[in-house]
Amino acid sequence: MADVFEITIWCRGVTQDMEGRHLSLVLANGAAKGGKFVQAWDNYADLPDRVQVPLRKYDRISDEEIEMRYLYENDHPQLVLVMDDTIIKGIDILRGMPKGGALVVNTKRSADEILSLIPNKDLLSSLTLVDATGIAGGTGLESVDFMGSEGGVEAVSVAVGLAAPLAGAASKVCDKFTLDNLVASAANKAGVKEGAKTAVVKTL
Amino acid sequence: MSPLYAEKFRIPKHLEIADGAVVPSPVGEQPMMKTGNWRIERPVIDHEKCTTCLNCFIFCPDGCWHLDPKSEKMVWDAIYCKGCRICVEECPADALRLENELNFKGGVARLDKPY
Repeated sequence: MADVFEITIWCRGVTQDMEGRHLSLVLANGAAKGGKFVQAWDNYADLPDRVQVPLRKYDRISDEEIEMRYLYENDHPQLVLVMDDTIIKGIDILRGMPKGGALVVNTKRSADEILSLIPNKDLLSSLTLVDATGIAGGTGLESVDFMGSEGGVEAVSVAVGLAAPLAGAASKVCDKFTLDNLVASAANKAGVKEGAKTAVVKTL
Repeated sequence: MSPLYAEKFRIPKHLEIADGAVVPSPVGEQPMMKTGNWRIERPVIDHEKCTTCLNCFIFCPDGCWHLDPKSEKMVWDAIYCKGCRICVEECPADALRLENELNFKGGVARLDKPY
């Protein structure tokens, strides 16, 4: 089986549930537009419907068909995206990450401050910071709406809020998808571009 | 019932119930149900304003406030507080305020394997 690139997204229950799912969909759609095989799915292992509980969304990207059909958690994520910086303090977000992984965080805080909260930061090769909340507007905790909260068919208005700038930031540290393909997949095209422009990559 | 319990409580043989029915009631903290990692903002108490009316103790759904008998001050539990803000809403003396969790170094309720 070919190498499978695993992405895990951490977000807050209910309030960021839709944007977290949209982020996983945008990254998958962007990679699929570039001719990759992809999987994107929602949390199954976490508590999904309690407000602000930390929860996960997943992506898999590969050059060949992905045969891990019935494994519904990413055990070895190479890229981790965090939608709310306080999650880092509560959870070992890098659990299972092979050495040399990448982390993208939505935060206004400095890289040193974020790194001081991660006990196993030696696994990281880069830390990317983007103020997605500032770009998307609002507090980052209000859900845009609850449309299609069960996943449903979402292809048109995907990533209107927080997901757009974070997808743009992810394109700077991951070569599995290009910025153009992500822009084409997201509804908030300006947000994706702004996220890619303002994201700060710190190589560790 | 285990022999230990039977001896302790001196229950007659014909009144004993099957093994597994008696469980000790949880008296301490629950190590597998740490909910402190849900918290975005934490309540910070101003002991000058606090009147120890115990509203926070009564309203907290997780029992994260208690009155320390020695110092006679309210004490907050960082490991189980979810940051639901109920105590801040209910405080009549305006002694509680919210502050972002990352402004504090301590109070880490990190789970190695969540859930």
